[in-house]
Amino acid sequence: MTQIAMPIVVTLLAVVFAVAMQRIGPQTGATWPQRAPFLGGGQPETHAWQRFHVRYYPMTLLFIAFEMEMMFMYPWAVVYVETGLTALAEMGMFLGILSVGILYGWREGVFRWQ
Amino acid sequence: MTLLSALARRAEIPVFAVIGTRGLGLAESLRRRPGLRLVDSPRHARVLLVAGAVDGAQKQALERLHAQLPAPRGTVWWQAEPLFARGEVVTGDDPMPAIRAAASADDPDQRPDVPPHPWQGIGPHGHGGRGMMGGNPYGRPMAMTADDIRDGLALDAYSARFGPFLPMLPPGLALDLTLQGDVIVSADVASAPFEQGPQGDAPDLCAARMLRLMGIGPIAARARGALLALPQGSGMRRRLAAWLRGEQVSETPDPLPAALPGLEWAEAVLWLASFPPSRLRAACMERHAA
Repeated sequence: MTQIAMPIVVTLLAVVFAVAMQRIGPQTGATWPQRAPFLGGGQPETHAWQRFHVRYYPMTLLFIAFEMEMMFMYPWAVVYVETGLTALAEMGMFLGILSVGILYGWREGVFRWQ
Repeated sequence: MTLLSALARRAEIPVFAVIGTRGLGLAESLRRRPGLRLVDSPRHARVLLVAGAVDGAQKQALERLHAQLPAPRGTVWWQAEPLFARGEVVTGDDPMPAIRAAASADDPDQRPDVPPHPWQGIGPHGHGGRGMMGGNPYGRPMAMTADDIRDGLALDAYSARFGPFLPMLPPGLALDLTLQGDVIVSADVASAPFEQGPQGDAPDLCAARMLRLMGIGPIAARARGALLALPQGSGMRRRLAAWLRGEQVSETPDPLPAALPGLEWAEAVLWLASFPPSRLRAACMERHAA
């Protein structure tokens, strides 16, 4: 009985909590002019929904290249003592492939911080 | 009067200052006044202060700004002819009593509470147009990709009119800009900055405006770091250094539609602030006359 009742109670609590939060939260009641962006009296001619260039994007790719390397190296360090030379060769290959990516990023100017 | 309302009465009044003709000096004089705080966005303001006469051509922009102040709001016209029948007119040198009165006023909306461009969607869900990107929802086209002038990555361009009462731009200057991200792709002057008189060109006020944009305090400005924070080669360092020494600057900027494209927004704002208002006005007026 409890096994059926508990999920229902938890779901009900979650719904009550969500509704309560909505009630407590600020009621903006913004008028149409207030919903427009503030441009000092001016108005936009296009919609705000648009794509723009995230300038740190190449930096994040580089971060992932280094981070994946480190993530793989921790478990590798544990088994390296047992496995020996095979593990070293495998890691060498893995690092080789990753460093090609880093070299590519270098060519694309990732390390030039603007 | 309850304790709470007594405390509330003593709080600073957030004021959004719209600066008109010869209003720059007036607004600067309010910065040191206790009891009020000049804010940079109407969203945070309680009182709309119009300092200096505003051209009738800017009436709609001013009304839009008035409507962007959250209710309750008050209006004060300081040495300005009212463009609409709200608030109090102050002709003297001290607007404080009127601002305090406006802080308990509640102006009705000046603009109708309707979308600026009505919904023009088509289809069963009113989603706009055909395909992924087409259509004119709310009467404005969706942003579309355009050639990029920075690194060739074509992304959506955003066109809007900035100003004439944007606090980071010289008062009165309205620019029709197209931006890609933060880079200005094209610029056009919609209206020239207002006349500010000799007071607007005062070196200390000009330096203060520029340092405020950079977020640098007055004491830190004495150090060289304030100048090094400015981009090299645009003359901004030279002009700010002259102002900090207390010298007048009489350089005239290049025409804005040629000078602004390629600059990032923050850089462009600083570049505009690095010219005295009278010279900037002259450069914009020449363009209008031509």
